[in-house]
Amino acid sequence: MNPGDVAHSVLPLTSSDLSLFALFWQAHWLVKCVMLGLLIASVWVWAIVIDKVMLYTRTRRAMDRFEQAFWSGQSLEELYKTLSARPAHSMAALFVAAMREWKRSFESHARSFAGLQTRIEKVMDVTIAREVERLERRLLVLATVGSAGPFIGLFGTVWGIMTSFQSIAASKNTSLAVVAPGIAEALFATAMGLIAAIPATIFYNKFISEVNRQAQRLEGFADEFSAILSRQIDERGAQ
Amino acid sequence: MKPPEMKTGLTISALAHAALLLWGLLSLAARPLEAAPTDALPVDIISDKQFSEMTKGVKNAPKDAKPAPLVEKVGDPKPVDDSTAKINEKKELKASKAEVEPPPPPPEPKPKPKPPEAKPEKKPPPKVDPIAETLKKEEAKKKAEEKKAQEKAKEEAKRKPPPKPQPKFDPNKIAALLDKREPQRQASVGETLVPVPGLGTPTGSAAKLSQSEIDALRARLMQLWNVPAGVQNPDELKVTILVTIGRDRKLSAPPRVLTSGRGPLYVAARDSAVRALFLSQPFDMLRPDHYEQWKEIEITFDPRYMFGGG
Repeated sequence: MNPGDVAHSVLPLTSSDLSLFALFWQAHWLVKCVMLGLLIASVWVWAIVIDKVMLYTRTRRAMDRFEQAFWSGQSLEELYKTLSARPAHSMAALFVAAMREWKRSFESHARSFAGLQTRIEKVMDVTIAREVERLERRLLVLATVGSAGPFIGLFGTVWGIMTSFQSIAASKNTSLAVVAPGIAEALFATAMGLIAAIPATIFYNKFISEVNRQAQRLEGFADEFSAILSRQIDERGAQ
Repeated sequence: MKPPEMKTGLTISALAHAALLLWGLLSLAARPLEAAPTDALPVDIISDKQFSEMTKGVKNAPKDAKPAPLVEKVGDPKPVDDSTAKINEKKELKASKAEVEPPPPPPEPKPKPKPPEAKPEKKPPPKVDPIAETLKKEEAKKKAEEKKAQEKAKEEAKRKPPPKPQPKFDPNKIAALLDKREPQRQASVGETLVPVPGLGTPTGSAAKLSQSEIDALRARLMQLWNVPAGVQNPDELKVTILVTIGRDRKLSAPPRVLTSGRGPLYVAARDSAVRALFLSQPFDMLRPDHYEQWKEIEITFDPRYMFGGG
């Protein structure tokens, strides 16, 4: 048999076009699903990353502004009036919740201030938990993609290599032209898994530390504010 | 409850991915990772016998349309040994002379010998002397032959070969100076090296005793070996003999029987084998080139193969 004939009989089986689109198009439908899923995961991960970066920057800036306003000596009543007009987040929300509880107790002319301190702390705890939940939301998606992405890609790889073995069996030939496309598409799946997983893992770690820092800042403010309020309660009670 | 900022993030992410994919498509499509088809190397499995047949050269091999002559060394093209070229030269010369004098016909020598032949034919009527006639005829023949010889000598003298080029020292031809083979050896010379002659290969006489030679010897011995047929244990009649053969392709020493056995049948078979060796001398089927290989052979006479034609 002429060697040229062998090469030509093999070629139609495996067009040696290894461009990105061809790699996807030649793949088995299962591998296609894996690739598409990983692509969607990557898009979603980056959407979350952009969203969270914007959220954390905004939150930090809002906290800075609020702390400046809070410690500027401005009357807390006035501050409460300006802040409660529109929905507030993070530290402002904490302040608004505590002030609302405080005012409600005083406006009802309650005789006893015994439970007020506890109530305010409870309200602030709940607000902190809600704010942290808001900051942490969807971070688990990043964690999941970061840990499962390589495995999903590996699954596509294993399937693609099985396909390439089948093509070896079909053509009874182990030349590079037979093996290369299957393995290339298989490795392409792993590459996509890694592309999705690496940023997800990096940003997950970064965001978790960011959330912890902001939560600690909220708790610190809550402690300080509850200390101020308890001093006020004691002064009122002494009157 | 989806906050509005998630939408912007999603949009940016999707756009970035689309751009990245497009870039990947363009950049990777520009130089696709081509897997060039490699030439397959066909491998045939042949037996020793086929190989020896292949290198041996066969008399009835299919002739090439243009068989190339065997060329062992590259030489300069030989200086003019071209008869057609000479004829052309002469014709040109004659054409120029033709204007001055009538051209003498080139086959001049032939008419001269004819008259002496014609004379004896005309003379017979007046003189009826057979002896004289024959004598004259012989004389005429001799004369004609002498003339022919003279003509030939003249022609040869005319056809002087051009002077051979004097040997010069050429550093490029040191290889020829270093050639230790006999200078008288007639190496075939050509413009390009053609190591393969038309039929067979120059390495056909491989330094390995070809299977066919042994087969021929064995077939000859088996013809001459008489072994009682229908023995129960043919294995016991197997005789191995060490044969020493001289350059004259005859036994140079008495054959030594290497196997031992018992019984009158074995003795008969052994003696018959030795006899067969003596009878089949000289061993013409062995080629002298392979003397080193066949000067000592162990030959096994096996009754099992005797009747199988092996």
